This record gives sequence, structure tokens and C-alpha cells, in this order.
Amino acid sequence: MTALLRYQAALLLRSNRWIFPLIAYGALIAVGAAGSTPLAEGLDWSAAMLVPVVAFITRSMLVVEPDASRAVVAAAAGPADGPVRAQLAALVAALAGGAVLGIIGAVFTLLTSEPAGPQPQSGVTDKITATFNHPAIFLAGLVTALVCLFVGAAAGTMCNPPLLRHPGAAALATLAVVIVALAANVSPANAALRSDIASNTGARWPSAASLIASVALLAVSWTASAMAAARRERSLS
Amino acid sequence: MRLESVGKRYGPRQPWVVRSVSLDVLPGRLIRLEGRNGSGKSTLLRVAAGVSLPSTGRVTGRPHTGYVPERFPGGLPFSGRDYLLHLARVHGLRGPGAARAVDEWLDRLGAAGYAGQPLRALSKGMCQKVAIAQALLARPGLLVLDEAWTGLDQAARGELDAAVAERLADGGAVMFVDHEQARLAGRISERWRLDDSGQVTVADGFGDAAGGAGSGFAAETVVVIELSGLESSPAAVLGGLPGVLSLDGAVVRVSSGASDEVLRQVLGWDGVHVTGVRTEPAAQTGQTGQSERGERAAGR
Repeated sequence: MTALLRYQAALLLRSNRWIFPLIAYGALIAVGAAGSTPLAEGLDWSAAMLVPVVAFITRSMLVVEPDASRAVVAAAAGPADGPVRAQLAALVAALAGGAVLGIIGAVFTLLTSEPAGPQPQSGVTDKITATFNHPAIFLAGLVTALVCLFVGAAAGTMCNPPLLRHPGAAALATLAVVIVALAANVSPANAALRSDIASNTGARWPSAASLIASVALLAVSWTASAMAAARRERSLS
Repeated sequence: MRLESVGKRYGPRQPWVVRSVSLDVLPGRLIRLEGRNGSGKSTLLRVAAGVSLPSTGRVTGRPHTGYVPERFPGGLPFSGRDYLLHLARVHGLRGPGAARAVDEWLDRLGAAGYAGQPLRALSKGMCQKVAIAQALLARPGLLVLDEAWTGLDQAARGELDAAVAERLADGGAVMFVDHEQARLAGRISERWRLDDSGQVTVADGFGDAAGGAGSGFAAETVVVIELSGLESSPAAVLGGLPGVLSLDGAVVRVSSGASDEVLRQVLGWDGVHVTGVRTEPAAQTGQTGQSERGERAAGR
């Protein structure tokens, strides 16, 4: 599995499919960081913007490889369950790429937002010190980002090949599901972002239910995708 | 490896491409799949290679597998060498062994000089060499070749033939499809014929290939070996040897190209005695038809 992950990660890096998500994510966060937002809100924003970005990276990983080389890798990863493991490796690589962006986003937000504290700090060192002293806000933001990461990855997995193979439909469905994931209150991502379980530290922890639901969504979508890849319906194109 | 009532179709309302195939792929066997375009040869190869799960039935006991697809459009952001290094690790090779295997196969297939170029920039033939190299890197117990010779230069075709022989000699099984009827003639152990309903019938491999082994016999010759003291278990082994056309009590009919090897095996068994060896024209066995005579000619 390590070799498969290395291969898929190299594929993601070398195919330059990370550049557009990085730029898009950077722009989205910069918009959110315009003006001085409180740290908790800034982290929520950078987490929310992960949903479309991770969905996009997942989509990239699901379409980047030609069928023939997928088949070659699936056989090499065998002798049993080769296609399943090859598919999971691609999905994990996309999720890991999203996680890296999420961490960059969270750190950027930390450095540009107003930390909650008795007096306003302006220097970078002050902000980092404040976070170390009161880590709850930052950690809560990371958990929210995790929920959004899982939901975005699940959306990208469900709406793209092999589960949805029509190229146009897949792109539109990805967009639609991302919007629903952010806006509809049944979505774990939406629930995590709305959460105001504000402790006295000012941290906005997402509910455990939203975290569990996001993990479940991811597990279901990954399983379905890996099964479909192994059954390998003939592609439409 | 065993295929147990394997069926495959691409969707619940689609026709069956392959249906109820129950066959064994034994070590050391070279199996050629035959059938018209669209008869499901590639599909059956994909199922056998583990690239695609069967819709019904199952495949058990699959050894480590190398698979060469019909077309390998190298649309990947790697150089040939980097791609092969990744695939070597996916195949389970580690450290310097992976790099050694990559260099060895690039060299053997005559692709070493192009290995540093991006796959996108390589010609079809060069991409095909990369696809073949990856399948052979880890010396797989099952090699599956879907028209792998297409697009190769003559030297590389010969090298692939040699690689197939090495896999067989190591006790590996090889399954292949090729439009060239004479491909590997003389070495084929069995032929699987796919008909349009998706069913497979098995024929022995030597009906069209006796001339290819270069044993000095005429191509139409069958060697009849009479034995005594043949117990039931050697009989089963005997039936599975390459080149054995039929086994009728204590009388074995063997393709002339394989008779030496079969005799060597038989003489090695305790209690089994060869009581007679004679030849007869292949036509008497009813194994060959008009079209295969044409193939035989092409084989030489």
C-alpha cells in the first residue's frame, strides 16, 4: 500500500493537478481574511473552503490516469483486491493533498486573524504565543476543517468516475453537491460550521455527530468507489 | 489458479461478454485465447489478471500477476524510468533490486536510451515497451499479454518471446491474445476459444503448432506412446503435460514437437514402462482442420 500511495502522490504532484486548487484555495482564504476577522470565524471560513477544494482534488485524482495504466497498476497491486487498493490509494492521496492545503490554510488564518485575547496582538510572535497559551480555538478550527475535508472528499468521490462516469454530469454534480454540502443543514460540514458550542475559551467545537457523520460519508463513498473500480464498468467515452 | 464459473458483463442490462467459465490455469502453461473481435478475449484476460472482478463466480489462487494492456497510452507525467521504478515498488520490489530490474528490462527491450524521456513524448512502440517492462519486472507467476507484441520492433518481439519462455520455465503461467496466428507457435499448451455467446471451449495447443518446435518431425506427425504400469495419478499428470493430445488408456498421443519431453517425464516415473513408440499422421487424430494447416504454415 505504501508503494501505491507513493505512486499516487507522485502522480498528483507531477501532474500539476495541485496548482489550481492551491491558487483557488489561497484566493478564497484571502477573501475571507480581508479585514480583521476573529480567529474562530477565520478558521471556519478556511475550513468551509476546503470542501470545494478537496472535492476538486479528488476529482482530479479520479480522472488523471488513463484506463490502461489504472489496469496495469491494479494488476501490479494484486494478486487479490488489486483494483480496490489502487483506487483507495488514489483517494487517500487526494485526501492527503487536501489535508496539506487545510493545514496551510489554518496556519495562514492563524497569522492573519485577530486572536481572541484580553488585548489585541499584532505581531506574528504574539499570535503564535497566544495560540500556544489558548490552543482550544485553533484545535476546534482544525476539527471543523477535518469534517469539511471528509465531506469534500466524499462529495468528489461520489460525483466522479467510476461512480458517475459521464464527464459533464460529473463536473456539474460535483459542483452541486459541494454547494449542498455547505448550505444544506443536513450536511455534516454545514453542521460543523454552524456549531456554536462555544466554550468559555471562545472555541467553536463541531459536534461529535457531525464528525462521525462525515467519517461515515467518506467510508461509504470510498467503499462504493473502490467496488465500482474493481467491477470496472466499461467507460462511456 | 482456478476460474470458477466466471461470468462478466458490463452492467445489469448488458449482454454477457463471458459466461460460466470454469477452467484451471496451471503452472508452466502457455494459454492462447482465440475468438473474433469483440468475443470477450480482452475481458477474460482482465478478469484473469485481477484487473476486473467477475460479475459472477470467482478466481482463486491467483499468483503475482503482470498485465500488459492492449494499448498503453503513456499519458502520465513521468519519465519511462520513473514510472517503472514506481511500478517496481508496487510490484513489491524494494531498494536497489527495483532499480536493477528496471534497468535490466529497459535494456533487454531496447528502451534504455529513451527511458529518461517523459512518457508523453514517447512513441507508441516505446510506450508499449514500458508497459511490457513493468509486467516482467517482478518475474510474475502469471503473465497476461493482451496483444502485447503490437507496435514492437523485431528485436523487442523476440525479447518478449524469450521472456515468455523464461516465465514458463520458471513455472509461471502465461495467457495471451495476439492477432498473429503464428505467435509462440510450438510452445502453446492450450487454446481457449471464445464463441459469440461468451462461452469458452478448450483445445490443445499443438494442433496448429507442431512444426514450430523444430524437432525434425514433419508438422503433420503425431507420436503415439504406449505405456504399461500407468497408475491413475501419473495419468492425470500426463494429461496435463504440454503437447499431450489425447490419453486413451495406456496409449498417449503427443505432438511431435513435445514427444521428447513427454518421454523424458514418463521414463522418470517408477513402475511405468514404455512398451512402444510410433508415429502417425496428425489427420488421424481429428485434431486439425483446414484453417489450422494454414496457421501451421505461417508458424514456420
